[in-house]
Amino acid sequence: MKPDTVVEFDVALIERARRGDAKAFERLYRDHVGRVHGLCLRMTRNPDLAADCCQDAFIKAWKALPRFEARASFSTWLHRIAVNTVLEKRRSPSKVEMAVEDPGEYEEPVMHFDTPVEEEELEAAIASLPQGARDALVLCGLYGYEHSEAASMLGIAVGTCKAQLHRARGLLKDRLERGVR
Amino acid sequence: MNRRVTRIDELARDIPPPRDLWPAIQQAIAAPAVEATSATNTRRRAAWMPAIGLAAGVALVAVGVLIGRNIAPEAVPVASTLQSSSNPESGSSSIRPAALRDAEYRKQRDQLIVEVQDRLQAMPEAERAKVAASLKTLQRSIQEIEAALGRDPANALLQELLVSSCQEEMRALTAVRDAGRQEI
Repeated sequence: MKPDTVVEFDVALIERARRGDAKAFERLYRDHVGRVHGLCLRMTRNPDLAADCCQDAFIKAWKALPRFEARASFSTWLHRIAVNTVLEKRRSPSKVEMAVEDPGEYEEPVMHFDTPVEEEELEAAIASLPQGARDALVLCGLYGYEHSEAASMLGIAVGTCKAQLHRARGLLKDRLERGVR
Repeated sequence: MNRRVTRIDELARDIPPPRDLWPAIQQAIAAPAVEATSATNTRRRAAWMPAIGLAAGVALVAVGVLIGRNIAPEAVPVASTLQSSSNPESGSSSIRPAALRDAEYRKQRDQLIVEVQDRLQAMPEAERAKVAASLKTLQRSIQEIEAALGRDPANALLQELLVSSCQEEMRALTAVRDAGRQEI
């Protein structure tokens, strides 16, 4: 299926779901649950909590569907709800935003490794990162969001998001070199 | 087998949850819908209480037709009493349930009306007036249900009411006709 067709198909499903069609919403759930759950899991590092957040995110999305604007990306909108849900579940989300260093001009969000890294090792290293740094790395580095989008989702300044990502990359590199599992 | 990657965005973005979350989601999103449906039904019931009253009226009138022969009233013109409420030419007939638009039903009803008119002509004036008045009330009830159906053609309750009312009318007409035959 071509990407355009996927988008059109999503739009039709969203429209049906907005009118209260639970079957259409189930289809949207099936199409998006993996990505939403992956995001929740990487942000929470807790499988049970991630499943709860994912479930709550879809329930919130159903309730908020009438306010969804068709021209926006459904996937991004859904991820924003999921990130909000994760942040709500955290006991002290305000501590996430911390001064790191002058963000300045940072490199591209996508992180390259000189030598191939085992997936499991990389996942473990990401999971070991501090919360704020991990959030920025997951959203920008893995899910491909711009700093402005990620910062908006996380409720932090764009500069802070850049700084957190920079910090995440440094810590990740260090931990991979030390073989942190 | 553990895959190796050279970029962080090569990691899988889709990670299915360990269990299917849909049943719980479905339950959560269905609850408000059930409440809303219940509220709608309550409003619908309230809106059609007059129709239910009409049905009750139809039943009472039918009884009145059967006992009317024995009650003394004053004279009423017979010719205008048995109007065809289910006249296929009338606008309201188009919204009738299919069973009531059936040609056989119309034929039987028209035949019954002719026979009942003959029977009414033969009745004592007081008895005739009472029976005619009862039949007219019955037909007015049917017309009112038809009018309500015209405003809400898909209303199942009204459709049921119309069918049962028309059946009641047929039973009443038959009872009047047969009462005449027995006397003969």
